[in-house]
Amino acid sequence: MLSNDKLIFAVPRGRILGDVMPLMKRAGIEPEDSFWDKNARQLSFSTSDPSLEIVRVRSFDIATLIAFGAAHIGIAGLDVLMEFESREIYAPLDLGVGGCRMIVAQPEERAPSDDPRRWSHIRIATKYPEITRRHFAARGVHAECVKLNGAIEIAPAMGLCQRIVDLTSTGDTLKANGLVEIEEIAKITSRLAVNRTAFKTRGEEISGWIERVREAVDAGQA
Amino acid sequence: MNGKIHPALLPAGLQDTLPPDAEFESEVTEGLIAAFAAHGYERVKPPLIEFEENLISGSGAATAAQTFRLMDPVSQRMLGLRADMTLQIARIATTRLADLPRPLRLSYAGQVLRVVGSALRPERQFGQVGAELIGSASCRADAEVILMAANTLKSLGVSGLSIDLGLPLLVSEAIKASGPKDEGGIATLNAALAQKDAAAIAAIDGVEPELFAAILDAAGHAEEALERLRALSLPAEAKVQIESQIEGLAEVMTAIKADAPGLKLTIDPVEMRGYEYHEGVTFSIFAVNLRGELGRGGRYRSGNGEGDGEPSTGFTLFVDTLLRALPTPVRRDKVYLPAAATLADAIKLRTDGWATIQAMDDEDGRAEALRLGCTHIFEGGSIHALKQD
Repeated sequence: MLSNDKLIFAVPRGRILGDVMPLMKRAGIEPEDSFWDKNARQLSFSTSDPSLEIVRVRSFDIATLIAFGAAHIGIAGLDVLMEFESREIYAPLDLGVGGCRMIVAQPEERAPSDDPRRWSHIRIATKYPEITRRHFAARGVHAECVKLNGAIEIAPAMGLCQRIVDLTSTGDTLKANGLVEIEEIAKITSRLAVNRTAFKTRGEEISGWIERVREAVDAGQA
Repeated sequence: MNGKIHPALLPAGLQDTLPPDAEFESEVTEGLIAAFAAHGYERVKPPLIEFEENLISGSGAATAAQTFRLMDPVSQRMLGLRADMTLQIARIATTRLADLPRPLRLSYAGQVLRVVGSALRPERQFGQVGAELIGSASCRADAEVILMAANTLKSLGVSGLSIDLGLPLLVSEAIKASGPKDEGGIATLNAALAQKDAAAIAAIDGVEPELFAAILDAAGHAEEALERLRALSLPAEAKVQIESQIEGLAEVMTAIKADAPGLKLTIDPVEMRGYEYHEGVTFSIFAVNLRGELGRGGRYRSGNGEGDGEPSTGFTLFVDTLLRALPTPVRRDKVYLPAAATLADAIKLRTDGWATIQAMDDEDGRAEALRLGCTHIFEGGSIHALKQD
């Protein structure tokens, strides 16, 4: 299988891509021109390195692709890696881009009688049900998660639940929806993620790429 | 789920294995057992189900979360359905076969059942085939089982094999000497090591990040990784213990190299999950372009709960993964016998290795043979190939 001899590098679509591509360029990875064409339907791209191919997918799918070995290496947010928590994925490098925080938020005007120490069960809207359940279970609270894929901040106003777990960088969206942060769960950045089997069976190539990206990160921070 | 269940629906992670896969699976399993027997490993067959407290005691605790349980109405005790067979073999070796001379070589094959599958192996029931070498602490024992696993897989037709060697005690000793002292910190450190996340390690309180970063870095090509392990600057309290582990690994590598210089070896000193109860050299078997591991094994102590137990090593192969690593099976040729053919003809053909299908009555022979999927027909005392459309 010829395509399997190439290394497949998965990068996320959307906002993070703008932060990531300069890093990739410093690491010596230049995708073909059509990568930059917003109207192109193409999803996989050749690069300046004939042994490397780029696929551009949704950030959550990157963890899936890497866990199954469909992509060998890629860039994934710590949020996605924490939610997926797969033993098949290594995250050897913090890229220092895509920084934000995962937080718990609730409406400003919560009932004063609400005492978090008495909770046994709460309902929370989130894109991250696994992280949310783990976070609250660790303090003895069962979190019943309502999985939403976007516009999480609107859930309390619509009466779906009182609290949300979501990412925030500036806090503007929270504020605009009358929510306040009550707790930080984790600081999030993008990571270089590697498939475990590829690391074992194609170690030299993979270590070479980790090293190149590491140098690119260091050069960017210098 | 309301209403009637579709008659073909099986619970998650379970499947019917059909022709030609079912036959292929049993051929591969028997082939492995025969190869192990040729190496002097004798087969044992433990039951599917046994007392929970025996099944998940000691090193069996690693599979406790994966084990189905049920109440035995006869003994009024909890029973566990095996999620792994290694511990059953160790139990047999140290109890019923305690009087046999050591080292004792045993092999086994059977199905295991797990409460949940993983992302990579959604199957909840799958086959395990393995071998255990009980009662020898020699590095030659480690090398023997690794070489037997590698050579047997190679002769079955698995290509691009590589063996990833581990040393779980190295990290646990390093953590005891230079890691965090609190349980939460140790758990965070183990999680960060498992993800090879050096940044997360540096962020943990009470950790010497240089030591753990150097351990992380000592992964990859075995010869080079071994040199990096030997160059570690170790904390004084763990130095002797860790150095003897590293030299043990070096001896195993030398013994493997002597017999199989072409076998690809890698080292990963932080490969810990599933090896919580192992000591000494562990190993995982990979093949290029194959998802997940073909098998895993390593050194442990087999005991019956009394004393220190016996130094043992062994491995388990996962039959479902192994089948994915092999070329797809070809259906065997079948020959169609007309109703008039004699029993002697049929016996002769079967002795020659043909699968025979005999007609029930005198239909149009060739059309009927093709309809039933036969590749050949027996006509006029000889075999003729049938043309497939």
